[in-house]
Amino acid sequence: MLINNKFLFLTCLILLVLISFVFSLLTGSSKLSSNDIISLFNGTASPLLQTLIFELRLPRALAAFAAGALLSLAGVLMQVLLRNPLADPYVLGVSGGSALAALLAMLMGVNSLLMTGSAFIGALISILLVFVFSHQSGSWTVSRLLLTGIILASGWGAMISFILVIAPAEQVHGMLFWLMGDLSYDRPLLPAYLILLCGLIFSMLISRQLNIMLWGDLQAGSLGIQIKNLRLKIFFLSSLMTAGAITLAGSIGFVGLVIPHLVRLVLGTDHRYLLPASALTGGALLIIADTLARTILSPQQLPVGILTALIGVPLFLYLLKKST
Amino acid sequence: MSLQCRHLRLSIADKVICKDLKISFNPGEFWGIMGINGVGKTTLLKSLIGLHEVDTENDKNMCIQLNNQSIYSYKRLELAQKTGIMLQEYEYNFPSTVLEATLIGRHPFLNQWQIEDTHDEQLALQALKRAGLEKLSQRALSTLSGGEKRRVNLATLLTQNPDYYLLDEPVNHLDLKAQMDILTLLSNQFKNSGQCGIMVIHDPNLAWRFCDHILLLFNKGEWLAGDTQQILTKDNLSRLYDCKIQQAGNGKNDTFFSPVLESEGIGVK
Repeated sequence: MLINNKFLFLTCLILLVLISFVFSLLTGSSKLSSNDIISLFNGTASPLLQTLIFELRLPRALAAFAAGALLSLAGVLMQVLLRNPLADPYVLGVSGGSALAALLAMLMGVNSLLMTGSAFIGALISILLVFVFSHQSGSWTVSRLLLTGIILASGWGAMISFILVIAPAEQVHGMLFWLMGDLSYDRPLLPAYLILLCGLIFSMLISRQLNIMLWGDLQAGSLGIQIKNLRLKIFFLSSLMTAGAITLAGSIGFVGLVIPHLVRLVLGTDHRYLLPASALTGGALLIIADTLARTILSPQQLPVGILTALIGVPLFLYLLKKST
Repeated sequence: MSLQCRHLRLSIADKVICKDLKISFNPGEFWGIMGINGVGKTTLLKSLIGLHEVDTENDKNMCIQLNNQSIYSYKRLELAQKTGIMLQEYEYNFPSTVLEATLIGRHPFLNQWQIEDTHDEQLALQALKRAGLEKLSQRALSTLSGGEKRRVNLATLLTQNPDYYLLDEPVNHLDLKAQMDILTLLSNQFKNSGQCGIMVIHDPNLAWRFCDHILLLFNKGEWLAGDTQQILTKDNLSRLYDCKIQQAGNGKNDTFFSPVLESEGIGVK
């Protein structure tokens, strides 16, 4: 069921994003009346209402959108890099390194800003380690990259478990939340949106090369692509975007693996459409998932990672069944 | 204009593929490269377009020259406008239509931001038509048969339409009629347009019929190259495959090579 009119599809996705923003702004523990909504538009809303919408719900929805878009883009790129539709942004251990650094920061009891910075630095260290160890004597093969990444990821995993075991009981809940994806605390949005913008522009610049990369190194090389160079670009782009997403929202699972898949089922593999469509779909899904995460069991909040899976799995299975 | 090897020495994992190879692939020629499995035919093809390192004991820049210029002095994209390859097999795990797959052949001719326009699409559709796939252009790649996929690979190369067509067993997976169709198409194209084909092929009968030049790769780096009539003899083939080969007929279209099994002991004189 490939869709022919790709621009129409992209327009629909933009609408979907807008709708999910509105849904997120208007949904929550304090119910809004229709008068409240009108007052928001003509500027007569009470200060309390304005604070609720523009200082609490809007930043959170913006964070969710950025995280979802970043993860989806990173997922698309990682699947090209490893030429495997089953790859996700975390497969090379970026999330593990980032999570370890974030948990260490929590253990030391620093504030949320320092923790965010620490998570980003952890991700960068992990990216560099993978690069240094897999990039030996000129050869930079997919299998070596994958092996290095997976081994590092399991190393990070062990250290994360270690921290969870030795951490004081009152901190463990917060840590688990972070590990499953948490959008509930305040964080700077600007860096994430900068990474998102640059990441989208750079990956769009190489989008036709991405299409060809899927045919393998030899075919791509014979069609004029400098493989090594392109691989490095893809590696750093997807890693940076993953780092941005994790820093913003913890390790939200599922989005980076399934959104690219989902969009491909409908739109095909042309990255000139796949990249923007994945970013929009991922962003919208995460806004909706986060809105549900903070409302279904309110006042109890759920980690958004649980919701992304709860929404994504049936949606994906449905599309998969329909496509075959 | 030619693609030349000068004193080329190639090896892969300590195994010598060819020593001191001197050969000139010229416009209008259709070469067949033959040899036993694992002798390094594919590696030779890859080296010809700079995708496999040559041995460095002689001057690397001299050994492979395109139009009297080292292939390493070309930018990859320039080289892709002049040379193209159809690989032996492809592993492609993503959804794509036949037309999309064929259009990647236009990549070397487009700017970074350019999207394929109707002109590019026309070229791809023509290539698909020549490969006998005009009705399948919107089909999903994953629904094609092995032979149809081979035709898509060929159509991609026809869309790229380089000066030098490197073909790695282009007719495997194809039925007899399709083999004849594809090779007729290619050999006519090379004759008429002054392009050059360099094809790895296992069937000596097809090579005899369609190739005007032959390169035989023996073990341990020895080689033999020249006109098909001179090179493709039953003695050379027997040496090549280490197996007695018999020949029937001598004309362009009625020559037939076939191996003699020791136990059979029957053969044409």
